[in-house]
Formats: sequence, C-alpha cells, structure tokens
Amino acid sequence: MEAIDRQLDRARRGEPEALSALYRRFLPGVFGYIAARVPDRATAEDLTSDVFVQMVESISRLRATDEASVAAWILQIARVTVAGYYRKREHQPAFVSLEPREEEPGASWGIPDNNPNYDPVRSAEAHDEWDAVVKAINALAEDQRQVLVGRLILGYDVATVARMLGKKANAVKALQFRALQRLQRLLGTQPFPEHAHSFHLHAKEDVL
Amino acid sequence: MKPLPERLNERLEQRNARSSCGEEPSVSALTRDPEADALVALALRVQSAPPLRVDPAFARHLEQRILVRNAALHLEQPVRGWSFPRLLRAHPVFRVALGLCLLLLLLGTGALLLPAQATNPDSPLYVVKHWEQQVQISLAHSPENQAHLDLQFAQDRLKTLVTLADAAHLQAYSEALAELDQQLSAAARASDALPAGAEHDRVASQLATLQAEARHTLRGLLPQLALPERLLTTDELGRLGDTVPHLVSVEMVLPAHQSGQATISIAGDDLQPGAQLLVDSRLVEGTGSFQNGRYVFVANWAGNQPPQRLGILNPDGTAAQTTTITLNSSDEHGNGNGNSNGNGNGNGKP
Repeated sequence: MEAIDRQLDRARRGEPEALSALYRRFLPGVFGYIAARVPDRATAEDLTSDVFVQMVESISRLRATDEASVAAWILQIARVTVAGYYRKREHQPAFVSLEPREEEPGASWGIPDNNPNYDPVRSAEAHDEWDAVVKAINALAEDQRQVLVGRLILGYDVATVARMLGKKANAVKALQFRALQRLQRLLGTQPFPEHAHSFHLHAKEDVL
Repeated sequence: MKPLPERLNERLEQRNARSSCGEEPSVSALTRDPEADALVALALRVQSAPPLRVDPAFARHLEQRILVRNAALHLEQPVRGWSFPRLLRAHPVFRVALGLCLLLLLLGTGALLLPAQATNPDSPLYVVKHWEQQVQISLAHSPENQAHLDLQFAQDRLKTLVTLADAAHLQAYSEALAELDQQLSAAARASDALPAGAEHDRVASQLATLQAEARHTLRGLLPQLALPERLLTTDELGRLGDTVPHLVSVEMVLPAHQSGQATISIAGDDLQPGAQLLVDSRLVEGTGSFQNGRYVFVANWAGNQPPQRLGILNPDGTAAQTTTITLNSSDEHGNGNGNSNGNGNGNGKP
C-alpha cells in the first residue's frame, strides 16, 4: 500500500486515484461513526456524502502528513456534520404520520421488503434495538466514540488512536474501557440487531 | 493481575491479530476473563453490526460523486498548480526563506518604527527619522503624493515643537522651529507645483488649515518660552501671516554723561500698548509712552557702550528686536547727533 504522505500529496494535487484510495480507506470509519449517531441509514449516507465532498473540497489545505492526523481531520468533519444535522433538526417541527409506516426500500438496512425471510415483527424489534444502540452511542463522550471508531471500525492500534486524538496510550485504553462499559450498562443484555430495517426515530438526540 | 482496561485492550489486540491472520475471532479461544470477555463481546458486536457497515452500492455511488466534484473543482480553478501555500509545502527552502524575510521585515519595521517615535532633535533616532522621511518624499510617485507627505511631515514637526517648548530644550526647540519653517515652505512649494484643479485646491486648503493650526499652536507656546525663542517664534508667526510687531525705526539718545537717562524711540507696525522695552534681549525697566504708533521709552543708562539690539515685547507675548539703531548723543539741549548701525533680526525693518 502506498505511504499515506505520498498519497496525501497526490490527493492535494487532485489526482483521482489518490482521492479514491483515501476515500476507501476512511469510508468505513466515517460511515460507522455517523451511522452510530443518526437514526437511519438514509441520513447516515447523506451525511457521509457531505463529509467526503467536504474532504475533496478542502484537502488542498490539509497539512496532515500521517494517517492518524488525517483520520482525526476527517472525523472532525464528520462530528461537525452530525452536529449540524442535529442543530437543523432542533429548528424543524417533527412530523408524525397518521398513516401506517411503510418501509422505504432504498432506506433498508439490509434485507429488502420482498425477501421471503422478511419478518415484520423481527424488523420492528430490530428497529427498537438499534434505536437503543444509537441512543447509547450518542450518550458516550465524543472522545469515547472516536476511540471506538478508531479501534473497532478503522482497526487502528492504540498508538495510532492516541495520535489521532492527541492523547496518551493509557488514556486511550481507559477511554476504550469506559466506552464499552458504558455501552454495556446502557444496553444491558439486549442483543444487537442483526438486520435492522429503516428507522423513523424522531426523538431529539443528546447534545453534541 | 493487570487492571481491567489493560486486560480488555490485550484481548482486543489478540483478537485483532487473529483476525488479521485470517482466523475467526473468538472470545472463547482466549483464557477466560468474564469481565473483559463481556466487553470484548460487546466490542465485536459493535464492530460487526450491519447498520454500521457501508452498503457497497452506496460506496460506489459516492466515490463517483466525489470524483466528479474533484474534476469540477479543477475545472473551476485551472491554475491551482501553482499556489503559494503549496509552494511552501512542497519546498522547505521556501519556508526558510519566507521565515528570514519575515524576520528582516520585523526587524526593519522595528528599526523604522522606533525612530518614528523620536521627537527630540538631539536624539540620533531623530536623524534616522528625518532620513526616513526624506526617502519617503524622494520615493513619492506623484506631486500630489509629495505634497501630502510634506503636509504630513510639517504636521509632525509641529507636534514635535510642542514637546520641546520648555527651558530644558532651548536648542532643540530652535532647531525644530527651523525645521517646521522648512517643511511648511516645502509643503507650500509642493502645493503651488500642483496643476490647477480639485487636488490643488484640496492640498491648498489642507496647507491653509495647517498654517492656521501652526499659528494657534505657536501663539499658545509663547508664554512658555524664553526671550530668544519668543523672538524666533514671533518671526515664524509673521511668516505664517499672523499679526506680529515689526520695527521700522529705532532711535536711541544716550545721555550726555556716563550715567543718566536714555531715550529710546521705537516706531513700527502692530506695536501694542503696554509693550516692554528689550535691550540686548533683556527686559529693561523703563517708562514708556505710546503715541501714533511710536513708543518712547526713558530708561536709566549707566553703560559706556551703546546697546547692540533694541526691541519690544508686546503684551500678547510676541517680541521684535533690531540691531538697526540710530544712536544720538544728547547735548545740553537734548538734541541728538549720531549714526546708525546693524540690521534687523527679522522683525525690524532696516
């Protein structure tokens, strides 16, 4: 794999291959971070798109030369984007449909509606469970969330996450422990949704 | 036993290592540690939760979108290949050069700002300040610009003068007053050199305003000045068009004997009632009468030599003095007979 600094140089010059490589490298982390914070996949995808468009528009000004700094930069864009999303929602009235909720095929988390294995009851349960997961992850501190994204989704080691957050390795280990412990406490023993479907969560999330 | 955060991390690392080797990560494969294992299991669930996984179709679509956006950006900014920040990033030598330039600029600015604050003509920095101003004037790219600079520097001289109007800075005051005069003359010349038009009128108006301000300021300084500086300041006020005394003729009738009373008759313009007699730049007690624009003073005279300079000090603080004196010796009948010598000091008319 090409060294990140060379890749960054080429991306700054606007070379498509380098931008694609960076995008593929950070997409799982950015999407995972956002998906764990917003109520449905469609929103997560919209916000992820915004983050990467911003990345393309501002990468020429990026001074980072190592992966941890780039990850920190992109997650910062993601954090601000999610915060903007919730700020916007605060000013919008919540619409509650009187019609029975219909699943939007494009907004499905995994299994299409016409899947013979589709079980509406299970889907509703999965929705409620994921709702709880989103709330639990939103209840974490920002640095705890970023540690989980760095360690579990981007697969970085403790040292890289420490550089990403500007903290010491022991602090990252402590944050990782506290994040998982808090999730455990908030979620209890309930299982994670295996195949959650589209969510229509309108409750106001925690402050960012 | 290690603390739980440490144990948890070790287990996550082991799991990641197995995962990267292609082995199926499994909590049960490790030595049992129920507390840590529960958290690792939770971590695994978070990691593998489908809602956190990217949909491949979305990923492809977004990649195309950002590449299109990138292409559009490059079309909008075709000359992005050369930019100052990029040059700095690409070539560290430019950073060093820029740093040196900034340092020199800072030092240079400091070196120029320090003299700019120097107000005392005795200070070496004042010389530098003058030099700076001369350079600025010589670099002025248009007569208008030069006229504005001349006005600005004249204003600067006037401010300097105010700080020197005390007994401790007699010499400096005199020099600063001479510089003010030069600078005002330069500003007047620059104004006259401008072609007729709006800019000429504007500069002329600014010059007139400055001259009025200078007259007002100099008059205000008069009470604080010693007599020699008052005489110089009165000269300058006269050049600025103010009403100051001008001596037309000065006659002195010395007493017939070595000690007696001398009669000094001073004629001139703008002599004010209540003026005092000046003999060799000193105030002299004497009885004076003012009639038809002529002062006649009678004062005790004990000297052998006639005075070099005679003059008056008006009640408003302006003073005039001249060395052009017609000397007469009085006979027993009071008739004078003598000669004249000397020249004016600026306010006397020989």
